[in-house]
Amino acid sequence: MADAVVVIALLLVAGAATAAVVNRDPVRQALVLSVLGTALAVLFTVDQAPDVGLSQLAVGSALTPLLIMLAVRKVRRRPAESGEDGEK
Amino acid sequence: MNGWILAAAVVIAAGLGTSLWGVSTGPLKRRVVAQNLSNAIVCPGLLLLAQGYGRTSYVDLALILALLGPVGTLVFARLLAGELADDPPSARVPTWTVAAVGAAVVLVLCAVTGPGRAMVKLLVVGALVVGGNLIASRALSHGFPGVDRG
Repeated sequence: MADAVVVIALLLVAGAATAAVVNRDPVRQALVLSVLGTALAVLFTVDQAPDVGLSQLAVGSALTPLLIMLAVRKVRRRPAESGEDGEK
Repeated sequence: MNGWILAAAVVIAAGLGTSLWGVSTGPLKRRVVAQNLSNAIVCPGLLLLAQGYGRTSYVDLALILALLGPVGTLVFARLLAGELADDPPSARVPTWTVAAVGAAVVLVLCAVTGPGRAMVKLLVVGALVVGGNLIASRALSHGFPGVDRG
């Protein structure tokens, strides 16, 4: 049964990673990436590596989405400020 | 191996699978709700795993997730405030369902653990999970007062 949990976690990680690639909008990719980070932490935990899971949780749940969302905001705001092709 | 790991597998497969489906399809408001609930449902799963493996130090993972998960959701709520203000997400039934699952898991684990330091830690984790989930859901559906444009 311990193997079953590993298989479930692996399938979830594969599904989340595929969904992150298939979505094309960066904002939605950031949302899927956040879920992928959680699934990866579960995978590390069931593989008996809770230290790796801890760092994955610390980085993946708050920092990575924050960086991506700030970058998306910056990129989207630039055309409106310089006055070319309007607001996106 | 034992019932705790089976319960953890069921909680994680059902919860994370559902939220993965919700976060990868549908409108933006459903996606942010699914991202919020994925954090809140994995946390009881990690608690059950810690009990199943018989290692109390694994509870730290659930503690960190309970602390940082709502922070991530608040990041999205703040930075997507402009797009969510037109059509605010409201998911009362899933939110309370997830909160009830978290509370039930914590109470069962407390009953098994018995009084002591470990039980206090479990109660702290449970309060953080349920409280953080409700605060993040409220921020998603009501926005931040004074912020109209992210």
